[in-house]
Amino acid sequence: MSVGHVIGSQHTSTRDFRVVLGEAEYLQLDDLVVVRTDVPGRGHVDTYGIVTEVEALYEGASFESDTVRIAAEGSMPGGKVRSAQVSVTRVDPEVWVAPDPGGEVQRATGDARRKALYADEMERPLPVGLGRDGEPVFVDLDFFDGRKGGHMSISGISGVATKTSFALFWLRMLTGRPDVTGDAGHNLRVLVFNVKGEDLLWLDKPNRYFTAEHAGAWRGLGVEPGPFPSVSLWAPPRARSGDVAVPDIGGRQDVDVFAWTPREFVDEGLLRFLFTDASDLRTQVSFVAERVEAQLRRYAVDVAGRAGAIVLRDPVEGHRPGDLVTPNPGERVVTDLATLVDAVEEFIDPPDGEPDVKWTGRVQAGTVSAFMRRVHAAVGRLGHLIRAGDSRRIDRSRAEVTVVGIQSLHDLGQRFVVGALLAEAFREKERSGQRLPLSVVVLDELNKYAPREGQSPIKDMLIDIAQRGRSLGVLLVGAQQTASRVAPEVLENAALRVAGRLDAAEAERSEYGWMLPSTRARARLLKPGTMVVSQPSIPVPLVVDFPFPPWATRKEEVAEGGDPFDGL
Amino acid sequence: MARLHVEAWAPEYGPAVEPVDDLAPQEGTVEIGVEGRPWEPVAGSDDGVPLVAFVDGVRRIDARLVLDDPGKGPIPGLCGSYAVGAVVWDRERRRSEVVGAEVHRLAVLAGGHKAEIPPAGPALSWSTAAVQDGDPGSLLRHFQERMRHSEGVLARDLGDGGHFVVADGPFHQPSPSETIGYVKTHHVDYLANGHGEIIGRLRPGERTPLFTIKGWERYSWYLRLAEVPGGHSWSGVVRCEAAAANPVEDVVVLADRSAAILPTVASESHLDPRAPQNLIPIAALERDLRHRLGDAGLVLRHLRAAVMRMEAA
Repeated sequence: MSVGHVIGSQHTSTRDFRVVLGEAEYLQLDDLVVVRTDVPGRGHVDTYGIVTEVEALYEGASFESDTVRIAAEGSMPGGKVRSAQVSVTRVDPEVWVAPDPGGEVQRATGDARRKALYADEMERPLPVGLGRDGEPVFVDLDFFDGRKGGHMSISGISGVATKTSFALFWLRMLTGRPDVTGDAGHNLRVLVFNVKGEDLLWLDKPNRYFTAEHAGAWRGLGVEPGPFPSVSLWAPPRARSGDVAVPDIGGRQDVDVFAWTPREFVDEGLLRFLFTDASDLRTQVSFVAERVEAQLRRYAVDVAGRAGAIVLRDPVEGHRPGDLVTPNPGERVVTDLATLVDAVEEFIDPPDGEPDVKWTGRVQAGTVSAFMRRVHAAVGRLGHLIRAGDSRRIDRSRAEVTVVGIQSLHDLGQRFVVGALLAEAFREKERSGQRLPLSVVVLDELNKYAPREGQSPIKDMLIDIAQRGRSLGVLLVGAQQTASRVAPEVLENAALRVAGRLDAAEAERSEYGWMLPSTRARARLLKPGTMVVSQPSIPVPLVVDFPFPPWATRKEEVAEGGDPFDGL
Repeated sequence: MARLHVEAWAPEYGPAVEPVDDLAPQEGTVEIGVEGRPWEPVAGSDDGVPLVAFVDGVRRIDARLVLDDPGKGPIPGLCGSYAVGAVVWDRERRRSEVVGAEVHRLAVLAGGHKAEIPPAGPALSWSTAAVQDGDPGSLLRHFQERMRHSEGVLARDLGDGGHFVVADGPFHQPSPSETIGYVKTHHVDYLANGHGEIIGRLRPGERTPLFTIKGWERYSWYLRLAEVPGGHSWSGVVRCEAAAANPVEDVVVLADRSAAILPTVASESHLDPRAPQNLIPIAALERDLRHRLGDAGLVLRHLRAAVMRMEAA
């Protein structure tokens, strides 16, 4: 179907050209077109492109007021001319010539559309949304699952950019299209942190506002719409709830409580995740923390009869790993963070006597005080996450998607949980050395965990995941309001870049250099549900719509019916 | 053997001949009573004519030709392009469009000679003509006449097609039609013999009563398009003509109509240096037609190539 002709009153090029549209035709932004050019000696060359701007004008009007004479009075002849700017996405075969002026421009549909979007070259094209024409737009899964690239970075203003919604949509595509994902989708483990509200705690519930029209869009993407089939939900225990572990969450109670025992805290070296403030690594405090962490590992001995509890005893006493001891009368038993801190304080800052150099090294007394100040503060903020008793570790193998609600925790507590779980996931994969099954981590507010400035153990770990996770099968779906505030190492390693609506000033930053100037201008106007997606295999970013979720994102959205006792 | 040359200097660098066919009428030949009303300004009236056509033409000399005849010496000629067309203003639909636009290319030689010029490409072929005398001015006049003729043909067609036709320039049609000639410039004061003070009293949208000049086959009237700030009594005034073959009551309708309608399409001085006389549709038409003449440099280059090929053959 011809829509117009390549404009010949200005140069065409291998990057872009313009199209003058026929009377009865139109092109809109993001439409895909193709034009055939005869190259002497080489035969036909098809140039594929995407519409980046559409324009119209009265030809013959030389003054602005001529518009009135042409349009309203009709006393002056003038022709309405509509044209479109096209950015070239592909030349096939690869003979890089500019399209001929006057060339007949066709709308790219069917095979031509697939070619314009390189879908014919993708081994595993996974739908990433719907184009303006209602047809699926694809990304090459090789660029997410680690074969050729990994990770996804999502940017956009809070509230309207629908970053989290898009991340979940992406997860649903990953889990819902086994025909495309193949072994990458097999035994996939997804770790999602719910950092704000309780939006992600309803993924397993149907959405009452979901309509047949939405369902049609999902089927267009090849996924039978429905809530996530395999979800486990986790929340921290409510603070000061005694021995009963009640999940600290408002909306629903059928949620598992997670916590670490002192034994796990020591074994996994979680102490350093108490020092995640960007300013901590600039002082000697981290040195003390490392030292204490190492000593704890040597001193900790399990207590008989109290699962997860430990006592600290000098290794010269000769206990071995796995030994169970009965605490001596008066000996301090570590059952939570507060008792652990007290026990450590006896070594490094005893009220009477000198600190133990084996624990402190030769740092200034002020540094030790600073260390103690921070751990004391942590007791109040996240002490309830450490408790003796049966292990309440998050079991990520229980379901495909593991949602960890950390929205109720203090900032320090959130960073602790994220750090601890990231470390666990990464360590697991490092040990196995296998890329598959894939482990996907969805983390919002990445600028908080991997800020551009400063150092922290979480930032180091995120950079490590960004750089090495691709080959280890740990894939990060990171979201942030402003990419310019996130560590560049993390951003640069994301093969897939996505943006929703952007702040006008933010859109001009170099972090968004992957967008075309026209896309940047539009990024301020994107409505919720519309994203710009860039992938290495297509030279221009694509604008896609993703459909309304079939799962609930708020308690009010949960469809009635089903189990009436749900959520009680 | 005679050889044809395309002159190497800029073609517009020749004699500028503006053919003037207005001659001052003799004393006592102007008849002002044809309409049978007092010699006072008359307000125009718009009878709602739906289709108004403005006819005009533009011309351009593309090259000067010299036929080098060993016997008779150099014979001057010229090559040019002209375009005629019309803007049809559909007042009900409030749309204007250019219709009937045609481009003609013509090579004229003096002294009764004719030179065939081969086509130089798509839409580039010249018809040929000859004038008898050797005067360069008459070459240009011939060229101008051909253009006026084409304008006349188009005006007649449009008039027959039910349009109210406003043809640019003096009027040459003998048969009755709803066509008026529109003369922008005043080379001659037709009302010199004491009737001219009425011009100063015309207000925009008003006209003089009709008058005729003995020996001329047409009616004339003046009308004012607009008040020109700082202008003299004749600025903003144009003269119109209609064929004498029309019944006088029909001409009165045409005159009333012109006085009412033409001021609405008068241009303004900040938009057009020839305002207000250069009507907006005509200015747009001229721009369109000039565009259709094609790029002058390109035409000249093709012409040269064609003549060289012809002479080499």
